[in-house]
This record gives sequence, C-alpha cells and structure tokens, in this order.
Amino acid sequence: MARQDALESGELTDTSYYILLSLVEARHGYLIMKTIEELTDRQVAIGPASMYTTIKKLLKAELIEQLGEDQDKKKTYIATQKGLNLLKKDIQRREKMIQHARGILKWEGDESK
Amino acid sequence: MGRGRIKMKQTKYVMSGGLAFDEERDMKRLASLAQKGWLFEKFSPMGYTLRKGEPAHLQYAIDYRKQPDRDYFAYFEEAGWTHEGSAGDSIHLFSAPEDVAPIYSDIETMVEKYRSEQRLMGKSAVVALLFTLVLWWMSQWGIGGLAEGVVSILLVFSLIALVFTGLPYLGYTFKLSKLQK
Repeated sequence: MARQDALESGELTDTSYYILLSLVEARHGYLIMKTIEELTDRQVAIGPASMYTTIKKLLKAELIEQLGEDQDKKKTYIATQKGLNLLKKDIQRREKMIQHARGILKWEGDESK
Repeated sequence: MGRGRIKMKQTKYVMSGGLAFDEERDMKRLASLAQKGWLFEKFSPMGYTLRKGEPAHLQYAIDYRKQPDRDYFAYFEEAGWTHEGSAGDSIHLFSAPEDVAPIYSDIETMVEKYRSEQRLMGKSAVVALLFTLVLWWMSQWGIGGLAEGVVSILLVFSLIALVFTGLPYLGYTFKLSKLQK
C-alpha cells in the first residue's frame, strides 16, 4: 500500500515523527499525547483519532512494539530498533531541509522576528 | 409539574443527513440542538435520539473504528472528548467543550478514516450489484408461480442494498477527492 511505502522509504509524517520520538522510552499510549505537548511547549497537539490511527500504523510497520498491558488493559509501547533507525534517518532529512532554507535565506535562526 | 407526578423523560428523534454525504452538517446540527438543550442520547435507525437537558456548548465528532480497545477510548478521554455512544461496533460519537482541539490533527490519518469506510462500502456495493444482476437475470426466465415471486422480492432487497452501499461509496469517494486536493 502507498502509505506503508512512505514509512518504509524513510519519510515520517509529523505525527509519526513525534510519536516515535516520544516512544524512545516506553510509555502508555494515552500518555504519548501529553508527552508531545510538553516536549513541544504546546506547539504540537495530536488529536486522539490521529494518535490511535498512527500508533496502529507504526505497530503494523514494526516501528514500535507493544511491551505489555496493565490491569486496566492500557497498553505500553516502545520504539523498535527499526523505528529508531528510521527516526534518525528522518531527523537527517529534516535537518537537510532546514539547511537548504538557511543556505538561501542566510539566516541562522537565532534572530528575533 | 404537579407533585407526585412522574417526571417524563423528554426525547426526540432527528434524522441523519447520511454520514457518508454530509458528516459535518450532522455534527453541526447536533451541536446547535445541544445549545437549545437537546442532547445526544443514542444512535437510532438512520438518525439520533436526543434527550431534553441543560443547554450546552458542545462540539460533536464521529469516528469509525472496528472493535476498538480500551486504549481507543482512553485517548479520547485524555484529550477531553467524551464517548457519547456507538452504532454497532464501528461508528463512535464523541462530544467535547467547544475549545477542545479536533479529534484528527492531520490530513494523512483523516484520509485513512474515510478510505477504510470507502473500501468497505465499495466491497459491499460490488456484492449487492452481483446479487442484483443475477436476480434480475433470473427474473427474466419467466418461471412463474411462487419462485418468481421470491425472486422479485429478493431483487427488491438487493436493489435497496445496492443503493445503501453504492451511494455512501460515492459519498466517501467525493469526500476523499476533496481532502486530497
């Protein structure tokens, strides 16, 4: 499927990117949202339906795995080695995108607006 | 209300405009009725049953998810959305105060929501179409009697099934083409 291919080729959607990032450490699925909000200073908020859909997709692509289920049936996930590799690859891609822009704009990103 | 009189629960039914065709309009209608004190109570055949209560400023959202687990509802709760009810095990309605962020935050996952429904309706429509063609073909035999009556009735049912799967299929297809522009 086309969408699966996008994951395999090393491009993460912003949602997948942040979920993978927050699953470098094992976490309850329902805590991922809060983690991302805190991490990004509330700049990024992922809706619950997008969250659930993306987690299913990452599981299927074996980029994350389920560690266990507690007594409330709440599931814990963690990024797999494959997921970490893809995350690193995507970070490099994103870094390059920023370098391209800086090359043109001659802007280091530390000036105030 | 007089003393000792049993307080009747006031409910009313509103018809859905068809989720495949205009989900947003259904959701906005539920929200504006909630402002008038008519709150969603449950899904009913081809629509919703509302109950009279305190007027509330709410937004409503529909999601499709087959056999959701506990985590699914936990995510919504965590984000400030209340599970209002489900139709079958795959259509779920949520409500939240107006300032809560939407349940979908990116296009990619929103496309998947409608794509899975589109596929399901498409498959069902193909089955209904096959049944309709076979039954129509049989009805041309002129077998007469009870058998012909049965075939005619089945033909009507399969036509109805075709309409109720084919039209939603087209609705979702249109929706996806708008989203992916």
